[in-house]
Amino acid sequence: MTRTARTGSSSNGRVPGALFKGYLDPRRPHAGAYDEMFAEDASVRSPYRTLHEALAPSAASDLAARADALGRAFVDQGITFSLSGQERPFPLDLVPRVIAASEWAKLERGIVQRVRALEAFLADVYGDAEIIRDGVLPRRLITSCAHFHREAAGILPPNGVRIHVAGIDLVRDEAGVFRVLEDNLRCPSGVSYVMENRRTMARVFPDLFAQHRVRAVGDYAVHLLRALRNSAASNVADPTVVVLTPGVHNSAYFEHSLLARQMGVELVEGRDLFCRDHTIYLRTTEGERQVDVIYRRIDDDYLDPVHFRPDSVLGVAGLLNAARAGNVVIANAVGNGVGDDKLVYTYLPEIVQYYLGEKPLLPNVDTYRCWLPDERAHVLDHLAELVVKPVEGSGGYGIVFGPDASAKELAALRRKVRAHPRGWIAQPVVQLSTVPTKVGDRLSPRHVDLRPFAVNDGNFVFVLPGGLTRVALPEGSLVVNSSQGGGSKDTWVLASRSSTVDSELSGPGLVGTRVMTGTATEQGPELTAAQQQQQQQQRGA
Amino acid sequence: MSWRIRVSHTTRYEYAAPVTQSYNEVRLTPRGDRRQNVVVSRVETAPATRSYRYTDYWGTVVTSFDLHAPHTELSVVGSSVVETSGEVEPVREASWADLRSEEVADRFTEYLGWTGYVPNDRELAAQARQLRRGLTPAEAVLAASRFVHEQMTYKQGTTSVHSSASDAWQAKEGVCQDYAHMTLALLRAIGIPARYVSGYLHTRPEGALKETVRGESHAWIEAWTGGWWAYDPTNAIPVGNRHIWVAVGRDYADVVPFKGIYTGGAGAGLTVSVELTRLA
Repeated sequence: MTRTARTGSSSNGRVPGALFKGYLDPRRPHAGAYDEMFAEDASVRSPYRTLHEALAPSAASDLAARADALGRAFVDQGITFSLSGQERPFPLDLVPRVIAASEWAKLERGIVQRVRALEAFLADVYGDAEIIRDGVLPRRLITSCAHFHREAAGILPPNGVRIHVAGIDLVRDEAGVFRVLEDNLRCPSGVSYVMENRRTMARVFPDLFAQHRVRAVGDYAVHLLRALRNSAASNVADPTVVVLTPGVHNSAYFEHSLLARQMGVELVEGRDLFCRDHTIYLRTTEGERQVDVIYRRIDDDYLDPVHFRPDSVLGVAGLLNAARAGNVVIANAVGNGVGDDKLVYTYLPEIVQYYLGEKPLLPNVDTYRCWLPDERAHVLDHLAELVVKPVEGSGGYGIVFGPDASAKELAALRRKVRAHPRGWIAQPVVQLSTVPTKVGDRLSPRHVDLRPFAVNDGNFVFVLPGGLTRVALPEGSLVVNSSQGGGSKDTWVLASRSSTVDSELSGPGLVGTRVMTGTATEQGPELTAAQQQQQQQQRGA
Repeated sequence: MSWRIRVSHTTRYEYAAPVTQSYNEVRLTPRGDRRQNVVVSRVETAPATRSYRYTDYWGTVVTSFDLHAPHTELSVVGSSVVETSGEVEPVREASWADLRSEEVADRFTEYLGWTGYVPNDRELAAQARQLRRGLTPAEAVLAASRFVHEQMTYKQGTTSVHSSASDAWQAKEGVCQDYAHMTLALLRAIGIPARYVSGYLHTRPEGALKETVRGESHAWIEAWTGGWWAYDPTNAIPVGNRHIWVAVGRDYADVVPFKGIYTGGAGAGLTVSVELTRLA
């Protein structure tokens, strides 16, 4: 049985299918990109069938009303990001992105494998560096990385976890294959959008959730809290966890406060903490209270003025040595940046093979390393066809799209690459997959990526079903960063028919996401995944 | 022939107004190796603190402590008894081709790269290329050290603790730190892995027993020419009984003996004294 997206297919007498008019126009930019809703023959791919059936007959005015409701909900809740210093709402598109259960199962395995390999890599790099001694990676690769912090050498986290939270950025190439674009092992942000997008979508489109079995994302904070409590030294019976934020002016402050609230832990700034005799204390109205785990959302450079920037007022003096002494756990660990360096990324297949003896389940995007002479020569010869990225950059800054760049820009880039080859990598222009997105009163293909979040509690790696789908709103744009004018989409991972997992809106109440805080604060570190599962199921019944 | 030496390194800070919080790290504990045996070593502070000791990335023993009671004076004493052995011979095993090999270049990448204190200085590099002509790597190390010794005048006050090898080269004056950084710049320019060594020097070559002498914090270099070996460019002498080493690193920044931050009154005085006594 195939259902086709015939323009003009009518259903109930309203403007028939006008929403998708001209969607598959062969003249659109990057027409070769993989569209997640429509196959090349204009048939609707199976995960999207129900969604398409629900959306196609809607009138543009109906969508507009719902889009307004979405926008209002976001502004009301104050969910913003800062774009070049200005606070703006992060636009949420009303068409969700759908991932089939089987597809997700593959992604999940690949992400878990990647996190496990990177954990082993970080432990090795800040320990005996056997991967270098065995000649698998050149020492230069590590020592030349700006985020390789020698200060972190010899710090052993009690349960061995350094990557408590990882955000693995995925893109889908022309053939529909998910590839890893980059890893984020420092302070990956965006999970609050995942939860808030879902809450808002559930309010505006309850009908769609009734027709789909969408896996819930609201229990993220439970998993995060479990991972943080597990990371405390085992002698601590009831560890005190805090969320350390740079303060209200940080663009992700909303997320910090949301996570702290949902976990039922204190949200603190550097000045609320102090270190005495290599132990960290929180100043409270009832006196000092020892802190065991700090989920920090401050960059390494600002974390401890004794070891890093001495002018930092955001951090806590003495924190690093407190962690070294084993009296506090910093999550994510200091120095994780060496694991998500864009040049180290190119060696991921070797890293996975070395530590796990496995082949990577998720391929990388093909990447040229400008620091290797022959690959650099290739890059310099083909600058106009490649995307050249600074190894250090984040947020999409400094990236040069060869095909769009002027001759002058290319010449400048050529000089920069020659002067500092370690600082640059190049990738073919990946035509990111597209998903229908509301543009004006129509749905048009727009490019998306996906950042799933993985939480490592030391026993197993939990991957939040879905993740943050970012969408590039300008036509033809391949840059999805919020700082470059991107928006986001709710990401639906469909539950397989046989599974027993909670689907969104299946519990009592409209949005079953607010239930975890009360019980979570009382859960000891011994709470296991199996128990967790049971509690959820009881709740849902 | 080995010496047993007692070292006592005292640092005293005075503050104009009471200091209420102070976090510090000191590197005052000598290391043990084939030619140096640490008999005993401790670090004491006044006011007394609970210190924590760890080994950093470079293998140096670091003592970390913090103070929270208001104080207008802080003194830190590192005392050790160390046995040292005789003069270090140059290692002559590696040829220039060995040093150029990918394996050596990668293994010692940190000791071949440029740093804030040891920048890529064009003039020094040209000097180094001239010096190495016709010499083996080990001879080049000696030549570079002697060159620095001849060109420089030992003088305190011209350069500061923040001066780089280039600054010292321009000034042609400096102290042991500058001698060492300049030698490192020369050696790295010709592809010889070289590192900075901090420690102490007993100032009397004859070293009378039981006599306490005012010594000094000292710095010299180690070069890799098939194996690591040390040389003292400040005095143009081999490293021997009189040298006690504490730390190695890429440059001074990796081995800073005293580092800390504090809140409270401005610093009003700093006195450092090193006393060395040959015991046996």
